[in-house]
Amino acid sequence: MAQDRAAAWDEMRSWGDVFQDADGVWYLTSTEAVQLAARQPEIFSSARAWDFQSSEVQQIPNAIDPPAHARYRRSLDPMLRPAIVNGLEPELRRQVAELIDAFADRGSCNIVAELAALYPTQVFLTLYGLPLSDRDMLTRWVRVILDRPHIDTAPSEEHTEATHALFGYVRGFINAKRAAPGDDMISRLLALDGDDAWTNEELLGATYVMIIAGLDTVRNAISLAFYRLATDPQLRRRIASDPEVIPPFVEELLRLDTVAPFLPRVTIQDVELLGRHIPASSRVLLAFGAANRDKSRYACPHAVDLSQADLGHFGFGAGVHRCLGSHLARRELRLVLEEFHRRIPEYELAPGSEPRIEWPAVTLTYAEVPLVFPRSVHP
Amino acid sequence: MRVRVDELRCVGHGRCYSLVPELFEDDDQGHSVVRGTGLVSAEHAPAAERAVRGCPEGAVTFDRDEPADAAS
Repeated sequence: MAQDRAAAWDEMRSWGDVFQDADGVWYLTSTEAVQLAARQPEIFSSARAWDFQSSEVQQIPNAIDPPAHARYRRSLDPMLRPAIVNGLEPELRRQVAELIDAFADRGSCNIVAELAALYPTQVFLTLYGLPLSDRDMLTRWVRVILDRPHIDTAPSEEHTEATHALFGYVRGFINAKRAAPGDDMISRLLALDGDDAWTNEELLGATYVMIIAGLDTVRNAISLAFYRLATDPQLRRRIASDPEVIPPFVEELLRLDTVAPFLPRVTIQDVELLGRHIPASSRVLLAFGAANRDKSRYACPHAVDLSQADLGHFGFGAGVHRCLGSHLARRELRLVLEEFHRRIPEYELAPGSEPRIEWPAVTLTYAEVPLVFPRSVHP
Repeated sequence: MRVRVDELRCVGHGRCYSLVPELFEDDDQGHSVVRGTGLVSAEHAPAAERAVRGCPEGAVTFDRDEPADAAS
């Protein structure tokens, strides 16, 4: 996976649409297999799949099964739909431009440290109406929490401290926003009443998930986008010369560089899937990364082909657990690519740098993507 | 010819109304609904097919054979 993802995904697909590995874990690798499982969330349970994380909070809504799940999404989905993201766009564009301007004159940058790690945190703070000055603190906690090497090993002291600090921070601003609401997402969640009202613990669980799942994933996608473009001058020039090419490129990026290539489920009961019998209590992985390279669906499964951008993909998963932040993430990626290429159309990997994907891992990413480019000339 | 959105399958990916706003629009959940009766003119048939292909859930269907007067 680290060296040749095309070969790795092809090999996995060759083992079948539905297969079981030596550890007893079931893999669903085709378009049909992941769709069938995603349509039966009451059998392919997320609640039991995420319980190994033993987080101090109930993760909402990813670790909630139907029917309770629908209540949370009914409140959350309207707040992150495309029409709402449209309203945020001018401010989000201004912020990404500011981040890029900070290094555009320098002739070099570290994409992850100077852009990809910072921007999604700022977007979250903006969405929640929190000060951007909290950015570096919040980014650091997320890094420490997600850098835990193995889920089975006991968390380090640093990890435990970061988790507690994050919870304290979130509890603090929930109380502050309850006392003094603003025009932001957390205030709108706090304003829900009657049957739709959320408890503080529910708000903490949902906010924790938004921070843990929403910041790192976009960071990783930005790193993957710039690696791909820095190593493909022809594609880079197309994007730099025509911003209309960016949305289809983003779709192909989400398809090929699926940041969360596997998502877990646990079966609640015995189930038949495409002729295979999966027993109750089986661990199942929806291999979205494999389904996104399904040869029966994509003529050019392993390469960027902008004409495939309309074919749909599972970059944001499928079924009722479809990524809540998908519309925001798409917009962040588009704005980053538009504003970067407007300022820096020519660039390449810094000489001597060899970014590598670390694998195995939960998410696909490059730890760093150092770029060099001609210094921008101001008139 | 007519397009339909299966509301039990739609989970709000938003691809159809983003790619083909002439045939689909979003509701207040960000889920998709067909505009009007969903009837599709010959001119919009390729766009309808595009929406069908783009839906990761298989929630959008396009019936080429349904006559226009079936709408009533």
